[in-house]
Amino acid sequence: MASLPRRALRLLVSLLIAAAALFPILFGLSSSFKPPPEIIRFPPSLLPAEPTWQNYQAIWQAGIGGFLGNSLLVSAATVTLCVLLGAPAAYALARYRFAGRLAAIILIVAVMSIPVASLLIPTYTLIADIGLMNTHVGLVLVYTAYQLPIVVWILAAYFQSLPEELEWSAMMDGYSRFQTLWRVVLPLSRPGLVAAVLFVVVFAWNDFVVAVTLLSSEEKRTLPIAIYNFLGFYGREWGPLLASAMVATVPILILFILLQRYFVAGMTGGGVKG
Amino acid sequence: MHGSASRTAYMLLLPALLIEVVFVFAPLGSSLFYSFHRVRFFQLQEWIGFGNYLGIVGDPGFLNALLVTASFSLITLALTFGVGFALALLLNRDAATSVLMRTVVLVPYVVAMLVGSLLLKWLLSVDAGLLPLAGAWVGLDVPTILGDPDYAFAALIANGVWRDSAFAMVLLLAGLRSIPPSLIAAARMDGAGPLRILVEIVLPLLRPVMVITCARLLLHFANVLTFPLILTGGGPNSATETVALRIFRIGFEDYDLGRANAMAVLLTLFNIAAVAIMLFLFRKRGRGAHG
Repeated sequence: MASLPRRALRLLVSLLIAAAALFPILFGLSSSFKPPPEIIRFPPSLLPAEPTWQNYQAIWQAGIGGFLGNSLLVSAATVTLCVLLGAPAAYALARYRFAGRLAAIILIVAVMSIPVASLLIPTYTLIADIGLMNTHVGLVLVYTAYQLPIVVWILAAYFQSLPEELEWSAMMDGYSRFQTLWRVVLPLSRPGLVAAVLFVVVFAWNDFVVAVTLLSSEEKRTLPIAIYNFLGFYGREWGPLLASAMVATVPILILFILLQRYFVAGMTGGGVKG
Repeated sequence: MHGSASRTAYMLLLPALLIEVVFVFAPLGSSLFYSFHRVRFFQLQEWIGFGNYLGIVGDPGFLNALLVTASFSLITLALTFGVGFALALLLNRDAATSVLMRTVVLVPYVVAMLVGSLLLKWLLSVDAGLLPLAGAWVGLDVPTILGDPDYAFAALIANGVWRDSAFAMVLLLAGLRSIPPSLIAAARMDGAGPLRILVEIVLPLLRPVMVITCARLLLHFANVLTFPLILTGGGPNSATETVALRIFRIGFEDYDLGRANAMAVLLTLFNIAAVAIMLFLFRKRGRGAHG
């Protein structure tokens, strides 16, 4: 057992680290409930004197509900497509030995590592050429291309950890390879699936640079694009800006806190424990 | 029998592969094609060979962006790695506080980059009143952080360290956890102190993970776009204009897609080189792990 002063020091260090990590978010949350004059009042107040929903009402009138809906739609569609295409690919890598397998693995790691920002201009040109500009379909397809590699990576690692005997007996019962994948392997792979899905959701929900490149009209905007446009529109009117930042943040933080174990496992590339 | 099994595998892989080819590799190809042309308001004009590339090399704005990106990447990499390593050593235990703290420090990483940079922009603004308040306490007149080139650059670095230290921590922690505890216990039995254990056992075993962590951070910082776009807008006076931000502006504000694509090609070449080095180290690590 560590001595008392050591434990006190450890606690103090932990509190300082937590403050550094969380203060910007918590102060933003607190300020989003202040009326605009209080937000810029000097000296600043830590908590709102009279909490108000007025900033949230302002962004509701500016259409945040629709942007929220767009974000939900795009995230859900990306997750669905990633699992539908990623699970078979992961199964192929986990269970088959074939020519080109190593090349496929190298391709996965390469795409996983290429930063999105370097692909924006090329992607913009291509999406315009094939007529998917300013569509959610185009955005979802590009998101899927960027996130499939990590999904395949996490799922393949998980599939490999499952005993193959279960699949053999399923196939003896007359299941095809495909049915075995969807009815036996995937239901057994819940932890890996959760990690992969969580990764995709965090990416699709948070992405700003791809969406701002591919979407132009107001009714298509996802939340981050809406906030970016608020930044130009409201300028230094911080109330609505902070409120919209919180609308984008709270759902993803709740998801993360509930499932953080899976998220961390996904970050280190598979190896999710059941 | 073997042939048909391979065919099944290819069928399972095909849809995913198709998406990658169309939305990742085809754009890179078309980018190369565009980079050799003059492009005006989205219309492909004549072939100009290396004209766009020569224009980039002679562009002082690009050289400035290169310098900004290089210094930002290296300084932020060193700091992020240092903080991440310290966090990993500090939180590498099973106590409830350590488990909780590992979640807490990851919050800035999970929040959207746009939101994080927006919150920091607000925090550093005069409107928030926090810096003037701190200045009043210590009796100093605090400058407008984002209005001064040097301070704005420092703020950009702080943004990176704030968001990504926990990313480094997670990778390094996984590496630390893979070191057999018996090795450390044995060294302790032989009378080695904590510093000696760190230098002679932990660091050599952790080297592959450390290299990969650095490579991934470097790739991330060298391509940074959202931090400067939101936090500083690249200013003041282009003091925080990174390469990715300059590409973004030349493409989507000046609509010079020829030159923007040429710059994107150069950035991609850098990224491919970095990824190739990383893959090479990956393979070496794999071989080491399996004997």
